[in-house]
Amino acid sequence: MSDLEAYRAKARTFLESMAPKYAREARSGNTVEQDLALGREYMAAKHDAGFAGINWPVAIGGQGLTHLHKITFDGEEMQFGMPVQFFGISLGMPVPILIHYCEDKEFVKERVRKALRGEEIWCQMFSEPSGGSDLAALRTKVEPDGNGWKMNGQKIWTSWAQYCDYGVIVTRSDPTVEKHKGLTYFWIDMRSKGVEVRPIKLAGGDSHVNEVFFDDVRVEDSQRLGAVGGGFGVSLHTLMIERYIATDSGGFGPHLDEFIKTARATNLNGRPAIEDGRIRSAIARNHAMRAGLDSITRRAFAMMMAGMQPGPEGSLQKLVAVRSRQKLSELAMDMRGAESLAFDEHAYVKTDWGTSWLNAPTGRIAGGSDEVLLNTIAEKILGLPQDYRPDKGVPFNAIPA
Amino acid sequence: MSILYDEGQQAIATESRRVLDARMDKSRLLQLLEQVGAHDQPFWDTAVEQGWTALAIPEEHGGLGLGLVELGLVAQACGAATAGAPFLTGGYGLSQALIQGSDAALAAEWLPKLASGEATGCVALAEGNAALPRVPSVRFADGKLSGTKPAVAGGLAAGLALVWADCAGEPALVVAELAAAGRSAVNSYDNSRLYADLSFDNTPAMVIALGSAARTLALDVLARMAVVTAHEQVGGAEALLHIARDYAVTRKAFGQPIGAFQSIKHRIAEMYGLVEIARANCIHAASLEGSSAFLIAAADARISATEAYDTNSRDCVQIHGGIGVTWELGLHLHMRRARSLAVECGNLLFWEDLLVDELTGEAA
Repeated sequence: MSDLEAYRAKARTFLESMAPKYAREARSGNTVEQDLALGREYMAAKHDAGFAGINWPVAIGGQGLTHLHKITFDGEEMQFGMPVQFFGISLGMPVPILIHYCEDKEFVKERVRKALRGEEIWCQMFSEPSGGSDLAALRTKVEPDGNGWKMNGQKIWTSWAQYCDYGVIVTRSDPTVEKHKGLTYFWIDMRSKGVEVRPIKLAGGDSHVNEVFFDDVRVEDSQRLGAVGGGFGVSLHTLMIERYIATDSGGFGPHLDEFIKTARATNLNGRPAIEDGRIRSAIARNHAMRAGLDSITRRAFAMMMAGMQPGPEGSLQKLVAVRSRQKLSELAMDMRGAESLAFDEHAYVKTDWGTSWLNAPTGRIAGGSDEVLLNTIAEKILGLPQDYRPDKGVPFNAIPA
Repeated sequence: MSILYDEGQQAIATESRRVLDARMDKSRLLQLLEQVGAHDQPFWDTAVEQGWTALAIPEEHGGLGLGLVELGLVAQACGAATAGAPFLTGGYGLSQALIQGSDAALAAEWLPKLASGEATGCVALAEGNAALPRVPSVRFADGKLSGTKPAVAGGLAAGLALVWADCAGEPALVVAELAAAGRSAVNSYDNSRLYADLSFDNTPAMVIALGSAARTLALDVLARMAVVTAHEQVGGAEALLHIARDYAVTRKAFGQPIGAFQSIKHRIAEMYGLVEIARANCIHAASLEGSSAFLIAAADARISATEAYDTNSRDCVQIHGGIGVTWELGLHLHMRRARSLAVECGNLLFWEDLLVDELTGEAA
């Protein structure tokens, strides 16, 4: 057995021991707050068992293993539906950025430990009402204030901010230079005076994202991460950290087996729907597409194991998987007809077509919209020209509104 | 088997691409479109000279003893160049049938000839729109074949054919020398594929599999050919992606390269996605050669590669505008090849049905 396979077996043993209390089945009907409490317990248990900070250096409290060990563990963990959704962003981006840029190493060590144990949660505050895809259009401003800074403005779509202790944020420190040159990056205490978090109820009924308002919030210069005016670079670094995370060719919706199950259990024109050519074609096309994405993932994994850089085709995963999940969910609902009208707001997105359909648009927008991903593939991989950009080379405060 | 190409495999990919780049000639291919009964002899000479005919034949029969991964890489280079006499895929299918079939003497006789290029092979399974008809109309009895196989790729010139026939109510795979068969050329939109209706009238043939074993072997041969073809389709689809990209960064309209318009750049990004998904499926399928998971992987590769090549030829022409539909530019070579390959060795409808049958555990 290879080292990784042995590790996978060890991970499974741990996860199976946790499942009776923490896995999705054990938590059905829970409120978000109940899940969060269980999630914190589970994170602490994971830390105690040595499965926290898998690929982080031992010196800051990680396990010092490889990225492959981490995605091996994550892939196994995903199958159990553990209550880890609150901590994914926290440990995925803000905390690694803090580790990289914060100079107070004792402070960092303390934060890392508490974040790994689920005692503290970090959020990432990038998007604003004035721009999501266009990150550098942000308007939240900081001004010098004595030996520190004063922050005013608003962020939006901040995941789990209502439960967060800390956050990282990119702000405009100089509006007189080109838009991406006048940004500065900080960490902040979400309980600071002047920070207000307001949850946003989404179309699917849940409220995991928030608006965050800043009213004369005092920020120390020691909270700055990177140089003054270097915030765009730190932001890009943040977004680049986790390029090969655990992927899901089902677009984080139901497995194709669920569709086949539905097609077998449903009649269409007096015959099982599984015999209907339209349904069969959808199954075959989706299977071929998902198999391709799975093979891309396996190949990326094999390349990393061989010490190589995975190919750029990994950038297709979310784009292709989520939009096809959206259409397949529609077809599954059509197939069930009137029966699909009943809706259970507590249903699980990976087993319920209505829930999968209703939440799919979020997946196509969050973390890079389809359009931005297509632009990125076209420009970065294929060398096609950038879009027309009238804001280029213009000081931020001179860009026509 | 590994899903990362090793050094030898990478060398095959580079070398086959290099040789074809140097020797293929668009004007020659355009001429072939307007002739019935001619194939690209310079390509076939190259295939023999480079040992591509011997690639997947075992060493004890005069081959190189490599497999589907290597042949797939050559097919990919052929697809990019719209090269290819149809014997490369057909010869492979036939040789696999001989290797796995029940007649060792027949295999020992023909495999060295197929490896050296002295003999050429074709595969005649389909009838009408059925890639593998449940009850074929071509009959086999007393060592003789009777009936007609329509539009067999390579059929006009191949020396030896693998034929799917009915033998007293049971399916049979038989091998027939075509010198004794009738051939009638099909005037096609992709003439260098050498499509011919093969007619058998008490033509001598040797059975190599019978009954359910014949069906299993026929499906395996078809799936192997589908994976080779899928590589060829990926090669073509990728070439079209690059042609479209190159045109979009040079051609200007409304004061900028057309590739700066999102309607164009997103279309090209989608072409890239189709190529990479199909390529990943091809690599996976080739690595599963001979395993129980092969059939499903072959269907995935075939479906995604057909979609990629058809879509990319459609979209590449569209991105070019008027120039794209001219005879001289030759994008129609890809358009034509995309369709001929889509229909050869089982169309999308066949592979979709087969895949769903396999996934749901029903008889194919």
